[in-house]
Amino acid sequence: MKPAVFEYFSPQTAEEAVALLGEYGDDAKVLAGGQSLVPLMNMRLARPAVVVDINRIESLAYIRDEDGGLRFGALTRQRAAERSPLVAARCPLLRDALRLVGHVQIRNRGTIGGSIAHADPAAELTAVLAALDGEVTARGPQGDRVISARELFVTYLTTSLEPRELLVEARFPAPPHGAGWSWMEVARRHGDFALAGVGTVLVLRRGMIADARIGLIGVGPTPVRAAEAERGLIGQSPSEALWEAAAEAVRGAVSPDGDIHASAEYRRHVAGVLAQRALRESLSRVQEAA
Amino acid sequence: MGVREITVRINGKTYAGRAEVRKTLADFIREDCGLTGTHLGCEHGVCGACTILMNGDAVRSCLLFAVQAEGADLMTVEGLADGDQLHPIQQAYWDHHALQCGFCTPGFLMTTQAFLREHPHPTEREIREALAGNLCRCTGYQNIVKAVAAAAEMLAAGRSGASGGAAGDDGVASEGGA
Amino acid sequence: MKLEGTNTLPAPVETVWKTINDPEALRRCTPGLKELKEVGPDTYQATLQIGVAAVKGTYAGTLAITDKRAPAHYKISLDGSGGAGFMKGEGIVDLEPHGDGTLLKWAGDIQIGGLIAGVGQRMLGGIGKMLIGQFFKCLEDYVGGGE
Repeated sequence: MKPAVFEYFSPQTAEEAVALLGEYGDDAKVLAGGQSLVPLMNMRLARPAVVVDINRIESLAYIRDEDGGLRFGALTRQRAAERSPLVAARCPLLRDALRLVGHVQIRNRGTIGGSIAHADPAAELTAVLAALDGEVTARGPQGDRVISARELFVTYLTTSLEPRELLVEARFPAPPHGAGWSWMEVARRHGDFALAGVGTVLVLRRGMIADARIGLIGVGPTPVRAAEAERGLIGQSPSEALWEAAAEAVRGAVSPDGDIHASAEYRRHVAGVLAQRALRESLSRVQEAA
Repeated sequence: MGVREITVRINGKTYAGRAEVRKTLADFIREDCGLTGTHLGCEHGVCGACTILMNGDAVRSCLLFAVQAEGADLMTVEGLADGDQLHPIQQAYWDHHALQCGFCTPGFLMTTQAFLREHPHPTEREIREALAGNLCRCTGYQNIVKAVAAAAEMLAAGRSGASGGAAGDDGVASEGGA
Repeated sequence: MKLEGTNTLPAPVETVWKTINDPEALRRCTPGLKELKEVGPDTYQATLQIGVAAVKGTYAGTLAITDKRAPAHYKISLDGSGGAGFMKGEGIVDLEPHGDGTLLKWAGDIQIGGLIAGVGQRMLGGIGKMLIGQFFKCLEDYVGGGE
């Protein structure tokens, strides 16, 4: 089984890549980790006429701690981010979510930028980006533009990136020191696409919740920010009853589809259960800020 | 245009060939390099039968194009044994009946190789998680898990005892190696 | 796979009825439609290029409208196959007056098979609903003053 014929380019710089996309646009696909694209190509469900392989663009692989957050070059391998001491220190939510992306073999090639640009509704990174109000930089023929997570995810496998744009960087604002976090997901086998997944962050001040983030995958065409559930937590003091109420609010915020893997009712129910557990676990990790 | 000269280093040896850019690395290894130990199970990144090491990392060779491996150091299952001497991981799989038809085995061996290099003293849970990306239809996995645990012990004993096995267990082919 | 929904269209029932029977409207609004050729009364040969993001497939097939009860009810059947798989669908459409406009109720049963179904199970339902939603959004614009 092999892909349909394509023209192949392997630029050495981001500028070259963008120029190629500018020329071939709709007919081209960017090849990063290839863990999502190549299966589709091998099965000929995707037949891009042109493949722009960005794996030689070393300048796109980096992890930087800047401006209150983590900046990842698009080509940063998921495995490198997962094992980075910087990520563990500044954003353990991201590390925990990354650990559940597919399998090690996938993470050895899969990239931060690729996963976000591919926008699978069950992609862990998309929910973390949404939960932390992250953003990406897209480079096109007209230059760079910044796209917030809110504006980035449009629907299944679709972002607001133009065909001629290359995602070059993803930025995840880091939660404040002492914030609690948790990533939980349900899948039938380890490494399967999540039937539902939740990432949470909790910041406490003088015993009250000062900030709460809840991001979900697997429960709709894009990652979901349970904004109303978050609002219900702000200013409250943590309790089991509070987590239960948040779980109900989360259930109200999601419209999952059912399929042969799990029904819509199951996903909705589990989303609430996971949110409840994740908030509880987040609390256990909080080190109170003054 | 669609066909390229491709040179790859596999198990320390250089292989050159000509292939279309759309030829997967798995196919190139098998057809152009004659190394058929790497198997094709699903060709869409699910089963792990095609697992090889690329610069020391376990990867799915069915999801790479041969052109992408230009300049990389690859290791396939053929690189484990030293002549007739089985690598400790292979010995452990043998000893613990961790293979039946053997189709998935090369992929498991390569995954194990990379895993034990990073986690020389794994727990059972860690082993199971590490192997989750490889599928086996015959064994039911129990013996594979045992084999990996045993291999970990053998490798650890080998390190603390003599100078280590003849086959480099660092996953990176050494200069002029077999 | 059973899907259903309702849409409110900003025009009276008779206008909406005319529109959903108008091959021009179908041509305009069916997502991915490349060709629609009338081969008999209320029967068309259709070529669709449909997909999401990089995943696109071409399907060739037949579209037929039956069980017409003007101006409020019909059944639309679509039958197509292509390299990536095949699909067979039936939808029942009912129109009701709703204030100044029309309430359009649709209920469909779609079978999708072949490679795309095996691989894309997780998203088929959602994508199906989305494409149908696109169809009706387009109809809404078409009916509400021509696009």
